[in-house]
Order: sequence, then C-alpha cells, then structure tokens
Amino acid sequence: MKKTIRYVASLVLVAVVAYNSVYFKKLDEVKAGTASFDAAKYAAEFWTKKLPPHTTKAIKIGQLLTLLQTDKDKAFADYSHALGIGNVKYFLVKGSGTVQTVEENQVLVKIESEREKPEVIVATEYIFGNAVRDASGEIDIDEFTNSMDFNNVSAEINKIIREKVIPPFRSKVKSGDKIDFIGAIELNKEHLSTRSIEIIPVSLKIAD
Amino acid sequence: MAIVVSTLNNPWFVFLAERAAAKAKELGYESKVFDSQNNTSLETDHFENAISSGYDAILFNPTDADGSVINVKNATAAGVPVFCMDREINSTGAATSQILSDSYSGCVTIAKYFVETLNKKGKYVELLGLVGDNNTWNRSKGFHSVVDHYPGLKMVAQQSADFDRNKAMEVLESILQANPDIEAVFCGNDAMAMGAYQALVAAGKSDKVKVFGFDGAEDVVKSIQDGKIKATGMQFPEVMAQTAATMADQYFKGKRDFPKKMPVAVEMVKKDNVGNYAAYGKK
Repeated sequence: MKKTIRYVASLVLVAVVAYNSVYFKKLDEVKAGTASFDAAKYAAEFWTKKLPPHTTKAIKIGQLLTLLQTDKDKAFADYSHALGIGNVKYFLVKGSGTVQTVEENQVLVKIESEREKPEVIVATEYIFGNAVRDASGEIDIDEFTNSMDFNNVSAEINKIIREKVIPPFRSKVKSGDKIDFIGAIELNKEHLSTRSIEIIPVSLKIAD
Repeated sequence: MAIVVSTLNNPWFVFLAERAAAKAKELGYESKVFDSQNNTSLETDHFENAISSGYDAILFNPTDADGSVINVKNATAAGVPVFCMDREINSTGAATSQILSDSYSGCVTIAKYFVETLNKKGKYVELLGLVGDNNTWNRSKGFHSVVDHYPGLKMVAQQSADFDRNKAMEVLESILQANPDIEAVFCGNDAMAMGAYQALVAAGKSDKVKVFGFDGAEDVVKSIQDGKIKATGMQFPEVMAQTAATMADQYFKGKRDFPKKMPVAVEMVKKDNVGNYAAYGKK
C-alpha cells in the first residue's frame, strides 16, 4: 500500500515538474516589444501635440520640387528629416490642387504651383511606413528601449490616419475637386526621382 | 579592435566583418575577426578572450538580442567599448552605440510591393530567421503591419529557417507538400530566399511563386535582374561596419556622447531599379 502511494506521489511529482518545464508558444507570439510601452498612447499624443506645430511650417510642395531641381543639397539639408544614416529622407509638405482621378488605392492630384503643375499621388489605401513619424524630426529614437517600440509608434500613427483622415475624404472626393493637403513624403537622396511622389496625408480638405 | 561576428557561414556577415577590418586598418588599428557560429556560449568565450587579450574595442554583431547583453555588459564593465553592428541587443545602456539597419521600415516597403504584386489576395508562406534575433521580428512585424490589413492574403505557414539557405530549402519543400497552391514566399533574409527559390525550382513552381528576400546579397541582386526573385531590402553593411570602426576611433580620441541607436535606411530593390544597386549596397 505504502509502495503504491509512493509510486503515485512520484508520478504526480514528475508530471508537475514536466508540465512546468515545457512551454509551447506560437512563433508570432515571440515578439520583442516592451510590454510596458503604450505605442497607441504615444502616437495619440504625437498626433495632437507634437505634430501640429510642424504641419503649419510644412514647405509648399511646388516650392520643394523647384528647389530639388535647382539645389538638391539645400532642399534636403533644410527640409528633410531622418533619424539615422542613409539615403532615405522625409519631408513635411503642403499644397493645393485639382483631383485628376480617384483610383482604388490613391487619388491623383495636379498641384497648383507657380512654374509647373506636376501631378502627385495622395495615398488613400497604403498608409504605411515611417514618413509621418519621421518627417517632423520631433521623435528621438533614444526615447525607446528597443526598436520594436519605436516601430509600433509608426503603425499607430498610420492607424490614426486610416481612421480619421482617409474615410471622410475618400467618401466624398471626386474628379475635379479642389483640395488642400498636408502630408509627408519620402525621397531617396542618392537615387532621386520626383516623377511619382506619394503623399501620406496628415490633413485633407475638399474646398467648398 | 576585436570584430565578433554571429556567423561567417553567411557571406553577408563575412562582408560585414571584412569591411569593419578594412576600416580599422585604414584608421591605423589592428583587428581580428572572431566567428561565434550562431552560438552565444562561443560568443562569450570570444568576449572573454578579447577582454583578457587587451583589445581596446569590440565591433560586435550579436547572436541573440537577450543572450548577448551579458557579454556586452562584461566588456563595458572591463572598460572595453562595444559597438553593435546590424543586430540589436535588448538593452539601451550596455553598448556604447548600436548601428542598425531599419529592418522594420524596409519590410514595410517590401510588403506594400508584395500586396500590390499579389493584387491583395492569395496564399503565402513566411520564412523567419533566428527567433532570438530582433531583426527577425522587426522584419516580420514590418511585413505583417502591411499584409495583415488584407484578409485576402492568407499565410498558410510561418516557420523559422534560421536565416540559413539549406534549412529554408528543406522547410519550404516540406511546406509545399501540404500547400502546393501558394503564390508567394516572404523570407527574412536573402540566404533563405535563395533556398526557397531552389525548393520551388525542384518542385517546378519557380515561375508561379514569387519570392521576396531581405539583405541585398550578391546572388539575390543577380536573381532580381534575371527575374527569379521579385524584390529584396538592400542593407548597407559597409556603412554599418565603417560607422562602427569610426565610432571606436572617436572613442579612443575621447568622444563619449554617441547616439545609443543609429538606424541605417534600407532601400527596396526590384527589377525596375536594380540597375542602381550592386551587392551589399555597393554601386
């Protein structure tokens, strides 16, 4: 009888140790983000407090395009931001223009500028990337424990744009509308192309 | 300068180590390359050797975001500055500076192209790198931050192939048995992209399944030119290696205020711009 109790107790002990020794986790659950960091809260504060002072100072896109043609280095030095090293830089831009076409993923706009009237793309579907986060130059990467937190901020900022900026615009916009926009663009300094500039919008208004 | 690299079994890291050594030499320093063989214990041995042998700085490519922290802390405590290259450790205070590819943003750009190429629908596979490396998750998360918005895109398998070409081939061969109708494979590095492509060739599906990689390795840049691989994220290992060696030089000359993290932009390479790029960001 005693032996049986001992065997049962041993089995229970082995089972408990084994159960507590092995954990199964899905690969996509193993993410390196810091649990305590609230990216959504950070993004909301950025959107309401840090970003607005910079949007009022955004360069007119026509002015930027002209400067890129005449003095590329000055354009990048004076108006672009990037957190680290590399060719990819971000600009906050503003402008007005006439909607040419409303497409599935974007709206094509002919902008009003003194010299040319180039077309730009206002993204309405693919609102991704760090353009808005970085273009203001307001965020310092040293504020974050690891880069996953920093990346989550971009995702949350883009979520705000998808939820607040795009739907009211997208539901009304049509060809021929006059619009005012503020947004962020990405340009590669080494391999510069201004043929299809894509604006990630921060503000979109259809003129009455 | 000691140059401790996660593995020399991958040409990308060989290039990183060579460029760091070349820059150290150019700046007038002796250097030696240590291969950690993706093994954190071996990495610890290299750190102990480097510290006891009197190296003045460590240019470091870690094996594990968490496991490597202690090695960096030990070196720093011994007065040896550590400059991380390409891979991140989960500690802001331990390393003197971390020079890192912006993998997340690079994969966001690739993912946008992935969605456009697949027209927002289809089955796909994701091959992950080493699960202990932050780059694995930065890349995966950057990719999913875009792709997961499209319910028509269904990930039928997500498996690690440890950034290894042969393992990627084996893993994808196995996945293809159960999922013969996939349309794309997203790989966390170019070595795995080449392995995946080999598996698709063997299965007679290389014309139908689109492969996306990350790194900017030589064979993938050529494969993009040949239309075999759709796109990759070009990293700039030379920029990272040179920056790390230059920072070490500045440290020896008295500078102490280094940015804790220095992201290096990643650029997407695809067929229409591949002419701008050569392997590893060279032009």
